[in-house]
Formats: sequence, C-alpha cells, structure tokens
Amino acid sequence: MPTNPDFVPKIQVFEPHRASLPPLIPYIKEFWQRRTFAIELAKFNDKAEYLDSRLGKVWLVLNPLLLGLVYYLVVTIIRGGGHNNGLTTLDHLLIGLFTFYFAQNCITAGAQSVTLGGRLILNQAFPRALLPFSCALQAFQQFIPTIPVYIFILVTGKYFYPATQVPGWTWHFIWIPFILICVGITGFGLALVFATLNVYFRDTNKLLSYITRIWMYLSPVLWLPETLHGKAKLLLYANPLGPALTATSNVWIKGEGLSGLIIFGCIFWAVVSMLLGGYFFISRERDFAIRIA
Amino acid sequence: MPEDLAIRIEDLSITYKVNLEAKRTLKNAVMRASLRQEARTRTVEAVKHMTLDIPHGSVLGIVGSNGAGKSTLMRCIAGILSPTEGRVIVNGKISTLLALGVGFNPALSGRDNIILGGLASGLTKEEIENKTAEITEFAALPEGFIDLPVRTYSSGMYGRLSFSVAVNMTPDILLLDEALSAGDAAFKEKSFERMRKLCEEARTILIVSHALATVTDLCDTAIWMHKGQMLAKGKPEQVVDDYLKFLNVGSLPSNLEDM
Repeated sequence: MPTNPDFVPKIQVFEPHRASLPPLIPYIKEFWQRRTFAIELAKFNDKAEYLDSRLGKVWLVLNPLLLGLVYYLVVTIIRGGGHNNGLTTLDHLLIGLFTFYFAQNCITAGAQSVTLGGRLILNQAFPRALLPFSCALQAFQQFIPTIPVYIFILVTGKYFYPATQVPGWTWHFIWIPFILICVGITGFGLALVFATLNVYFRDTNKLLSYITRIWMYLSPVLWLPETLHGKAKLLLYANPLGPALTATSNVWIKGEGLSGLIIFGCIFWAVVSMLLGGYFFISRERDFAIRIA
Repeated sequence: MPEDLAIRIEDLSITYKVNLEAKRTLKNAVMRASLRQEARTRTVEAVKHMTLDIPHGSVLGIVGSNGAGKSTLMRCIAGILSPTEGRVIVNGKISTLLALGVGFNPALSGRDNIILGGLASGLTKEEIENKTAEITEFAALPEGFIDLPVRTYSSGMYGRLSFSVAVNMTPDILLLDEALSAGDAAFKEKSFERMRKLCEEARTILIVSHALATVTDLCDTAIWMHKGQMLAKGKPEQVVDDYLKFLNVGSLPSNLEDM
C-alpha cells in the first residue's frame, strides 16, 4: 500500500470503447468537475486577445456597432426610408448583429479550439469538449457588454423619436435569457461539429468564414422576419439560428412575447445541435491526439 | 487490482491509422470522393500485446529507439489514447509532462499559465494558488519573469517552468517523456533530487528518455521497447546494456547521454 501522505485511491480503467462513444456518465461528471478550467481558460483567452490592442475590449462593442452602421447605410439610406422606419431598422440590425456575432464567435473560435490546443491535448487527459465550451463562455463574456450599449441606443432613439415602433419597458424582456441560452447552446453544439471537422480537414476554418457570412445573409439580421410570407417562412425554421433571431426581433423590436412555434424552434435547434455536435465530437475525441501529433 | 500496484497493463495493444495525404483538406476529400478514391492510410501497430505491473513507489525507465511505441504507451497510461485491445488500470492521481510547454498560452504570463496547467490537470484553483510560489521558486526564473508573457521566455525557462508545474502537482504517478533535457546541469540535478524525494514518498514515476545515464541513475526498473513490443524488463543497467548491444554502438559517454 502506498505511503505517500496525499494518496487517495482513484482507480481509472482505460479500455477499448465497445461503441464509438465512451461511457457518458463518467464523461459528463469529469466535464462538470473541470468546468473551472473552461471558465478560467475563457477569461485568460479573453485577456490575451486584447492585450496588444490599444482600444482593448472596446472593440467588442465597436466592431459590431460599426458593422451595424455600415449595413444601416446600405439597407436604409441607399434604399430610402423614413425616420421611424430607419430607427426600427437600425435597432433591429444592431440586436440581430450582436446576437448573430455571439453565435458566430462560439462557432469560429470553438472550431479552432482543438487544433490550437495541441500541446494540451497531447499532454493531458480531460474531456476535450471543455475547449469549445470555453470558447462559448468567452463568446458570451464578449457579448454581455453589447447589451448595455444596445439599451442606451434604444433609450436614446425612443427619447428623440417617441413615435418609434420600438417598445419601452415590457415584461416580454424576460424571454431574453431563454433566447440567449438557446443561441449559446446552438452555437456550442455547432462549434463541436466544426471543431471535429477541423481536426480532420484543416481548411474547415477557411470555409467557415464563408459559411457564416452566407448564413448571416440568410438569417433575419439584415431583414425583418415578417418580410417572409407563406412557404418562404419555412426558411426561418430551417435555419438553426432563425427561430432565435426571430424571437430576438419580436422581443426587442416589437415588444411581443414568443409564439409556441418560435419557442419550439429555439429549443429544437438547441437540442439537435447539442446531440449532433456532442455525438460527433465525443465519439471522435480519443482520436484527436493522434491526428494532432 | 492489488493495492500495491499503481499501474496494471493487461495485454495492451494500440493500433491507429495515419493519413498519408500531404494535405488533409476538405477540398482533397471532396476531390477524392468524386473520383471514388479512398484516402491513403497506413495502420500503425504502436503497442503490441504488452503486459506489465508497476508497483507504487517504483521508478520505471522506458528505453527504445524512435517509433518503438514509448510515447504512445505513456499517453495510453495517462488516458489520452484509448487501447485497441487489452486494458490499463491506474490507481492514483496522474501528472504528465509528455509535450513541452503544456497548456501554455504564449501571450499570457507564467503565473496565468501555471493556473491553466494546474486546472487542466484536475487541481482546484485554491490548490494551484497554494503551489504557485513553490513552482515559481523551483523553476528558478529570473526575477519578475513569472508575471511576463511566456513568449518572452527562453526555451530553457519555458522547459523549466513546464517541468516545475508537473512535479509540483504532488502526483501519485508522474509520467515524463524526454522532460529532463530542458534545463542546464544545475536544474537537472535539482530535478533528480525532486524525483528522488517523490520516490521516497512512494510516488510512482515513469520516465521515457534517450539519455540512458538518466535511466540508470534514477530508475529501479527499466523496460526496453522495440516496434511496439517489450523486449526486456529488469535492472536498468542490464536493460540499457542489452539495448546498447542491440544498437551495436557501445557504452560511450555520448551514447549514455543521448540515444
């Protein structure tokens, strides 16, 4: 029997996987036990990302804000539009971009998390899903500061144009956490898919930049969800972020609650993304050390 | 598993496929699929039917030429790679140094990286913070360097910090793969002393090294691996001697230092 003072018996058995998935309960337990690693990794990566930038984290808000203004110019001023309509469009564009960027950052950073975590993966055994998970947490941390900025823009707009369609305070804002959780889970699930693909095909990340751009044009970010009618409305539900972005627009711009179909759409895509991504990633993660070495 | 064992390896085989494509891209995969071609792969039998018991408190040296399966074996014991056949049972907390600069983000300070490395290995933040001073002192970094970005470190400082994190995590089982080549002579001696102390506390150490003198100095048992098989097990001097005879290079000091 060992005599070392801190020895605590901890039996671990490493066997071939009968199926492609490892035993899921120990995996989830281990994931939960090491969640602090993902949280701290997200904080440290966030810190490292803006260390050399003079404006630092201001870019987190400035980037989508400037992009929003560019799209606003394209969508409203060039196409033409009244004051109220213009303000509604700007508000819709900004919250759509902020929310879409939250999901996009989950996916693009998560997609690279395994290939960039090479040494960590070669050296230590831990649930690899913690790496894309920390990227999802980081994306959420980076999304948070955009909310007060957005509220400031909403309030200022309402003050100068009280007749705007954009509502004041409404109880329907309680849907916002639900929407963000669904966006975060969908983003994390898709990050798991792309992170796995990126291990096998290193050009996945290049392709991803085009995919996300086209995806944004197909999502109700630059256009209002009610622009679609009839069968075209199916496009909203076939898009993993469609229901959540429609919900975002409904709550923030129209001050309405969510319909059963939208709630179902948000939950459906969050669950499908997580199951698909989780299965694809976890069933292959024991192969990562070989592919990365 | 008997209580006195730290690691039991039962009829372990590890086989994997390596892709022989020069570039593993989606474009190539689509092109291949359109031409109905299969990816060029090679099956590597890295470890073949290996059985070994390692008691608590032993220091096991693993020698063998490149491609013998030493690193694959270590990664399987650490739980990083899965067995293809057989199984590995481990009793105790493992700390690893299988790739230099583990968990290190070059833009972050040494202190931040110590926290990340410790958390990845399963310690709590409080435990790591209690050990940070010890780790920093052991790594012998110049004053103030611990709060500078790791990208400003020399390769020696980088290696010393990695080693210091691994040995100061109070592991029950320490796995080291070529980790002792990082520091200078003084640091190497300090590392040896630390490992002897770990052994006195009945902690188990596995060392993969091409520096055969390290194996004979530190280990109480050694194994020699060749093409995935364990060819010999016994006293380090005997195993190293057999290995040198096999290589037909003789025991010159240069050979003992780096083989």
